[in-house]
Amino acid sequence: MDKEWRELVVSKSWWVLLFVMGPLVGVSFISSVRTYAEVSGLNGTAAGVGEALSPLIGIWAPTFSACELAAVFLLPFVAIRVVAGDRQSGALKLELQQGMSPFFGIAAKALVLMVGWLIAMLPSASAVVLWKSYGGAVYPPELLTLTGGHVLNAGLTIGLAAAMSSFTDHPSTAAILTLSFTVGTWIINFFGAIQGGWWERAAGFTPAAMVAEFQHGLIRLSTVLVAGTLILAGLSIAALWMQLGSPVSNRLYESAGIGALAAVAIFACTFTTANWDTSEARSNSFSEADEAALRKIHGPIRIEVHLAPEDPRRLDLEHKALSKLRRLMTETQVRYVSATSIGLFEQTSAGYGEIWYELNGKRTMSRVTTAEGVLETIYSLAGITPPSDADEEAFRGHPLAVPPKGAGVLFYGFWPGLILVSGIFTRGRFK
Amino acid sequence: MESTLFEVSGLSKRFGQIAALTDVSFHVGASEVLGLIGPNGAGKSTLFECLAGVLAADRGVVAAGGWPIEPRKRHSILFYVPDSIAPWPAQPVRWILDFTIGFLGGRASIRDEVIEQLGLRDLLHQPIGTLSKGQRKRVLLAIGLLTSQPALLIDEPFEGLDLRQSREVAGVLRTYAARGRTLFLSIHQIGDAARFCDRFVLLSGGKVCGEGTVSELAAAASKPSADLEEVFLALT
Repeated sequence: MDKEWRELVVSKSWWVLLFVMGPLVGVSFISSVRTYAEVSGLNGTAAGVGEALSPLIGIWAPTFSACELAAVFLLPFVAIRVVAGDRQSGALKLELQQGMSPFFGIAAKALVLMVGWLIAMLPSASAVVLWKSYGGAVYPPELLTLTGGHVLNAGLTIGLAAAMSSFTDHPSTAAILTLSFTVGTWIINFFGAIQGGWWERAAGFTPAAMVAEFQHGLIRLSTVLVAGTLILAGLSIAALWMQLGSPVSNRLYESAGIGALAAVAIFACTFTTANWDTSEARSNSFSEADEAALRKIHGPIRIEVHLAPEDPRRLDLEHKALSKLRRLMTETQVRYVSATSIGLFEQTSAGYGEIWYELNGKRTMSRVTTAEGVLETIYSLAGITPPSDADEEAFRGHPLAVPPKGAGVLFYGFWPGLILVSGIFTRGRFK
Repeated sequence: MESTLFEVSGLSKRFGQIAALTDVSFHVGASEVLGLIGPNGAGKSTLFECLAGVLAADRGVVAAGGWPIEPRKRHSILFYVPDSIAPWPAQPVRWILDFTIGFLGGRASIRDEVIEQLGLRDLLHQPIGTLSKGQRKRVLLAIGLLTSQPALLIDEPFEGLDLRQSREVAGVLRTYAARGRTLFLSIHQIGDAARFCDRFVLLSGGKVCGEGTVSELAAAASKPSADLEEVFLALT
């Protein structure tokens, strides 16, 4: 572990990552605090803009997005440097003669990289302290969820970069493959958005979609398990390919075995339905009264939506109503039907725009895509009285109209300076 | 006659269409200095890597005491020092030697002795990546000498060293051989090998062309009074 730590500390790529994180977080934090202040200055305390004034959406999601950027474009190079370095320098040939399992070696590298990543996240943590000093509200559960999402995302990057570094001869090839994989997940997201169906389902498990869930304060057990499986698979494959003394054919078979096991595990994970909405604004949930009423409904609800994947009404329906409904009523079945991806030329088709609901043999149709409209239709179909929201206190946000005082000095001056001095001092000390 | 430390039989390795090693068989005696001689491209490094278990052989067995030893367990009897590597290039020599002792199970008791013998005292704070080829070679030799396996396989121990350094290193290696450590050295300069080794394995085109002392090899080549160079040319 000491050796891996030293290798990280002497790697320039890690120091570059640390150096860049300050300004990256700074740009996001400063602009989001300014925007938040502008919205707050308009006295936006009405329920309608409550979500906009949630620090999770208004401050933390954009501020921590710097971590997402760094995890995609910078962290892979740090991971590749640490994992591929031994192979490139010939040190691996010496280390393998120690007899230790390569799995331990890769685990040590992954652990050190993760610690390195947590240090790289310090500017984001200092943004929290700064926000608190402005008098801003901090809701720890949603902040921890967001942080956890970015840690998991970094884990995925490390697992992927480790796997790529171990079975390629050169770090640049590993970097190209890692970035290609990331671009591949973006393509899945793109196809998911325009094609729907299985593409859409697969897109739900890409790193970008995973981070987006955490950015909204949502923890889905299936997402966490899938990410964990992928990280383990990546590290295991990396360890396999580090065993230079094992025949390539054996390593291929074993890698295929790990891939198959991971695929089965991921498929099984997608059936887990446990999830938690940790956002203060309950942005992933219906009101508590509505949830209590929905729990009284027995039998699965089947919903058939005649809207194209790119139709804004479908996005609205999915995000504002159906995703919340699925969280609560896990047996809900939603089927999207459309002949085209954009739906522009289907508008005049008979039945386009219809949303059919079926519960216990009864069917009804509606065209409303708002959460209130969907709930109303379901209550009517189930024959229950809609709850009164009168007693429930709506989340009205935490408006704060302050300038990002001191943030520029901290992120553009102090942090890069600190990294520069620490880098020179620490690298010198480790030599 | 010395006892056998380990035996190699039927070792073969192909890289696609190229047969790097073909049915290589020989034995390594305990406490001997064995030279692996062959021209560039003969398969010497490939053979060492297969023996050390850092490259998969297609066929063949390495056995000690009559028992085959799996590649993953070869570290119980031998340690291999590759040529032309700069392991952990950003780390100073001092740390690398300590790492060899701590991680690779090296002997702390001979650390200072090895440093003095190989003239590494002034290099201890230098990262290995900044060293010259000869200096790096001496660090690699130090790593090998610090390890505790009965047999030490060194790929081209004199490569990159000048005449004086070669003689000094030869003296150091002799010291450790005299203490009972088996040395198996891959050398492409036949003159160096003749001066230094007790026995030889001649390798050419991935095949063993002869094994034994100079006189045994000369007899096999039907040139009783020939030196090693002539014997090598006759047998390969």
